[in-house]
Amino acid sequence: MSTTSQKHRDFVGEPMGDKPVIALSGIGETLGKKLEEQGFDKAFVVLGQFLLLKKDTEMFTDWLKDATGANSRQAGSCAQCLKEWCDAFL
Amino acid sequence: MSSFSNMSAEEISSLLDEHGIKHGPVVDSTRNLYEKKLKEAMAKRKQAKPSPDKTFYREEEEEVTYVYRTPTKSENFMESRPYMRSKPEWTAEELEHSASYSGYSRSSEYRGRDYDELSHKMPVGAKTAPIRSGQDAPKAPKSPRLIPLWVQFLCFLAVAVFLYFVFSSMESSEPLKVIE
Repeated sequence: MSTTSQKHRDFVGEPMGDKPVIALSGIGETLGKKLEEQGFDKAFVVLGQFLLLKKDTEMFTDWLKDATGANSRQAGSCAQCLKEWCDAFL
Repeated sequence: MSSFSNMSAEEISSLLDEHGIKHGPVVDSTRNLYEKKLKEAMAKRKQAKPSPDKTFYREEEEEVTYVYRTPTKSENFMESRPYMRSKPEWTAEELEHSASYSGYSRSSEYRGRDYDELSHKMPVGAKTAPIRSGQDAPKAPKSPRLIPLWVQFLCFLAVAVFLYFVFSSMESSEPLKVIE
């Protein structure tokens, strides 16, 4: 298995329900706040954006970097986390 | 450069399609991103414009050489196969060998093409190449080969002769000959 964080494994292992944005892998306090300011207050709203971008991890990474100032690692981690969650539950 | 903010969602969508950018619906949250992508794509196009003719020409040239090489390359390919196949039947007459050779030529012609496609990495060229073959057949093509064709033929013949030698010495009742 690739090196995934505990946070990643926790998120991908079960339906996200009402989890907050910071439950997403790669999203910490700072990025979480920025997302909430833009209306993305729950993980499922970010999922919504991911789905709007047709589950394209590259597009989503670009969007996240643009919207929150995330770096490549954080954005990539979040994208991968959402992609795997979709593969498992969508 | 047109301002994207005045465009409708459909216009942006069609522009994205024009540039070959895969995209989802153009809504409030995705619009900014797609506008950015379009800006990048247009800037790239402007940069790439001065040289596309050259690359196109080079592609054409490669297409021509690709077509010319096909018969010889597939021949090479065809020759190697029947040898390996008819090895167990070597004791049989040579007629059988030539028969399998000609019979195989048809089925391996397609494979020869595939082989060429892999080596040249231009599957698109294959479809338009046959049209050019008639026009450019008399020309002597300059193929970008690392190893010249005659060297390849020579190597192949050497391997074939070697295999024949080994096999014939296996047939004889003196196994010591092989070692020496």
